[in-house]
Amino acid sequence: AVAGLSPLLPPVPPLGSHQPPTMLALRRTLPTVSRRVSRCMSSAAEASDGSMTLNFNLPHETIYSEAKVSQVIVPGAAGEYGITADHVPIVAQLKPGVLQIMHEGAEAEKYFVAGGFSLTHENSVTDISCPEAVKLDDIDSAAVTSNYEAAKSAFSSAEAGSVAAAEAQIDIEVNRAMGAAIGLSLN
Amino acid sequence: RASSTVQGRERQSSVAMTTPTTFWRLAGMSYVQFVTRASSTVRAGLKEPAKSKAMAQESFSYNASKWSAGEQGDKVAVTALGKAGL
Repeated sequence: AVAGLSPLLPPVPPLGSHQPPTMLALRRTLPTVSRRVSRCMSSAAEASDGSMTLNFNLPHETIYSEAKVSQVIVPGAAGEYGITADHVPIVAQLKPGVLQIMHEGAEAEKYFVAGGFSLTHENSVTDISCPEAVKLDDIDSAAVTSNYEAAKSAFSSAEAGSVAAAEAQIDIEVNRAMGAAIGLSLN
Repeated sequence: RASSTVQGRERQSSVAMTTPTTFWRLAGMSYVQFVTRASSTVRAGLKEPAKSKAMAQESFSYNASKWSAGEQGDKVAVTALGKAGL
């Protein structure tokens, strides 16, 4: 529905409504402009402070429960995206990457997540579940570099298509992402 | 392939509905195995003291006990999966 349609047009009943002909006739006499405007909004117009609610959980720890934040930038497997209040509901698998949580008027808080899922609901609530998430300060650049090199040699010596090769490839991709998160350029 | 009986359903039939496109599916891993391995790699790249705290998540142990005549026997710690059959 597009706001600004001529109010002289007859009202269109919502999809799936089965109303008897007499009801339709009555509806034609009601003002239509306000109802078209209300159908444009994705949810009831409640006064909101522009913040979203974040639930960020690991299996062994709850990092945020019902926290009011201004924005979350999520490393989706199909691409990074940002979530603010009133974002369209979306479900995304996460790739190993940096999750940024922006609090009101403060620096972004960054976590490196190993994977997981992010679910954004209609009421500006976002649930993020990850099997592991670490602070960027806890990442050891020497360990990441040596693990990356070890993974590359394990991949080249493993049989193509085997589980060992897949595990080596996981190690390569995760270490490369961890390096990128702390400013290392691993190739 | 489209129809499958409830009992004796082949494991392949649920995966063969669509062609696997991720490298880990092609190698035969499940998503849980994939993401568990990725978590393990993240923990291996940490500094102390965060590393020891995170490595605690990786440890696991099994107990096994034999049932006979509806009674559970004593629990025995399993040191190797080959011995888990008791």
